[in-house]
Amino acid sequence: MKTLLAVVLVALLGACTTVATKKIASGENTIGERLQVNIEGPWNYISAPNMGPAQIWTMEGLPVDQLRIYSGIKDGEVIHDTRNSNLKSFSFRSNMQSDELVSMFEGMLTRGGSTFQLSKVEPSTFGGGKGVRFEYAMVTKEDNLPLTGVAFATVSNGELFALLYTAPRLGFFPRHQARVEQIARSAKILPTPAAPKY
Amino acid sequence: MNRRRFLRAGCGCSLGALPAFSMAQEPWQAPPRFVRPDTASDEGGLWAMMDREETKLRRSPFNLRDPQLQPYVQDIACRLGGDHCPDIRVYLVRTPFFNASMAPNGMMQVWSGLMLRVDNEAQLAAVLGHEVGHYLERHSIERLRSAKSSSAVGQFAGLFGVVGLIGAMGLVAGQYAYSRDNERDADRIGVLLMNRAGYDAAEAAKVWGNLLLEVNARPNGAARNPLFASHPASEEREATLRELAASLNGGVTNDDAWQQKTAPHRRQWLQEEVKRGQHEESIAFLTRASTRMHGKADYLWARGEVYRLRAGEGDLDSALKDFQAAAALGGEPPETHRGLGLVYRSTHRAAEARASFERYLQLAPEAADAPMVKNYIQELSV
Amino acid sequence: MHKIVAAVCFAAAASISAVASAQVPNLAPGFTGLPKGSRVVMMPADIEIYSISAGGLPEPRADWTEAAQRNFRSTVTRRQGTLGLAMTQLAEKDADDFAEISALHTAIARSIAVHHFGPSSLNLPTKDGQLDWSLGDSTQALKKATGADYAVFSWVRDSHASAERQAAMVAIAVLSLGRAVPRGGQQTAYASLVELDTGRILWFNRFSRDSGNIKDEEAADETVDTLFKNFPVAK
Repeated sequence: MKTLLAVVLVALLGACTTVATKKIASGENTIGERLQVNIEGPWNYISAPNMGPAQIWTMEGLPVDQLRIYSGIKDGEVIHDTRNSNLKSFSFRSNMQSDELVSMFEGMLTRGGSTFQLSKVEPSTFGGGKGVRFEYAMVTKEDNLPLTGVAFATVSNGELFALLYTAPRLGFFPRHQARVEQIARSAKILPTPAAPKY
Repeated sequence: MNRRRFLRAGCGCSLGALPAFSMAQEPWQAPPRFVRPDTASDEGGLWAMMDREETKLRRSPFNLRDPQLQPYVQDIACRLGGDHCPDIRVYLVRTPFFNASMAPNGMMQVWSGLMLRVDNEAQLAAVLGHEVGHYLERHSIERLRSAKSSSAVGQFAGLFGVVGLIGAMGLVAGQYAYSRDNERDADRIGVLLMNRAGYDAAEAAKVWGNLLLEVNARPNGAARNPLFASHPASEEREATLRELAASLNGGVTNDDAWQQKTAPHRRQWLQEEVKRGQHEESIAFLTRASTRMHGKADYLWARGEVYRLRAGEGDLDSALKDFQAAAALGGEPPETHRGLGLVYRSTHRAAEARASFERYLQLAPEAADAPMVKNYIQELSV
Repeated sequence: MHKIVAAVCFAAAASISAVASAQVPNLAPGFTGLPKGSRVVMMPADIEIYSISAGGLPEPRADWTEAAQRNFRSTVTRRQGTLGLAMTQLAEKDADDFAEISALHTAIARSIAVHHFGPSSLNLPTKDGQLDWSLGDSTQALKKATGADYAVFSWVRDSHASAERQAAMVAIAVLSLGRAVPRGGQQTAYASLVELDTGRILWFNRFSRDSGNIKDEEAADETVDTLFKNFPVAK
């Protein structure tokens, strides 16, 4: 949680104009060129340079909850921000099986040294294709706050599409989980690039 | 954020003369119990800082509050500490690195990576005795004084606290290691305390010998290896400890007791070890560990996992061998069969993959990934 | 490093949007004040005091922090009579059971500090400019254990210049002919009032200013007063 926040704050120091928070309105939204979702109730989209390839949405603020949305990540691409080069890096490979996708995301989420426990891994459709859904529990070493997460991932035409939501176990994850599941269910991977809205 | 602590050093106050430890074999005696110093002094400031780190650790989810294991390790530390027993408070910490430390306020941390690597009580006692040695000789206060800058002092103090970024820890620990004299003293005292507590002092050298095996297995060598940065292993140290132990006879090792007491945690610790992703080190360690009396099937499973994840030339075959050996022994973790299934699947041996996955589900019907594995079976059936 | 970045960013933000921040609400929508006689539990304050070395590096001072914690507690004890509330202070050792709630609150407070009281480019549109955060029913455990209906959380970070740093600052000011004015130290603090039944943050106050020196009793009084200046008690 803190790394992303630090990225945003550093960006602010550099140039306030490059940090933006947009309201994602209810209804149809397209992320990247090919991922379309239909959301019920608005979200907040925070963008700043060097945050990594995922789009980050939040309901309560970056220190609390984060919805990471991956759209069309290509073979070999690093899936996180690259600020801290001391930590191990994780990249997507097009030939990854479900268990490897799960391991990759687990590695990314625990780069800073957190505990991580998978509580469920199951096949699921995502974006209209076969994919994986998994649930997890983690505690980051810095905050000592127990977090819960749910994630969906699929590979379509060699590209990664995924959605990960992490929020505190107490109060916040239960509060927003249903809407996240709904976003995941509504996800469609478009066959041809659509005009991106964001 | 990593809570780095700094303390302004150089107040010039004196601790009084520290007991000298000479090479002549006078019987070394522990100093009397320590009294909490004034908060405004350097040492007092460090003590107060440690108290607050201890509160955080006590509340931390990484604190392994096991009602069987914690009192057991506490008792070992207590017997090593002798008269200082009431001042020692042991915390077991879930972190897959080799470390134990003791802060000037009596807080002792023992990390799961260390508990996984020692073969018996005596080896644990060697490491804990070494830390008690640093504590009794007040080396951390000396270290404070000799630190080159105030920031160095603070970073050192942070080592005793809740672990921050793992990547940074190795760097700091390496930079601000105890002086060689202090390390030698702690080794000597540790061996003495072990012996007085009834342990076989010859085990101390083995701890470092075992670590060296792992360190040397790493492709780019031992340089800045975070696994052991706080306890540098060397042939010299191993030899010195062997020499020291030569004159101290008798004592137990308690392999059985240790391995049985830690058995409930072994698979969890092994999973965390595998997840470190340091394949060569893990293989070296697991190869050694698989010769232990207890838990062979667990170590073989873990090594199989490492081979499977490394997936280098010939690794999948090695993984299969290890998984099959674990299964043959019996008492293997259910994940052994999942591992087999995944390897068979990736080598297009569908029937064997199905059979292994089914066995996994039989042994672990409530596994987190049971639904996923059921799906694999279905896919392999077409 | 992150905390330093945060502190400096707030300073930058304060200077950019000094007017705007005056209009950011401290109270949850619809909340005007606590009924007199409300039972309030004060959580142990999270305080860290730093000294800034000559080179500009902040170093935690455990002795100053301990003094600050003691002063904070005694100031609250002395003041609580005037608030007209039944206030108890939770002892540090009793707070162990509430580590998760405290950690949760710390995360929320950081969010409020950044996304509500911070630069407007970080405001969350869904909050609509309101102080609209809640811990949910997770705080009921605290209510049950303490018998209180409300809880107050507070957090203080104070750094001030050591003598060497002050000398260095004078030197910098002189050498730059007064143009460069380096920061000598900064105090950032927040306090929040939480309704334990619902977990709603009813009131949140934060400030960031030049060092407050709260290891000294008088300064601690002043900091506590500033922090709780607009604490919402029904008259």
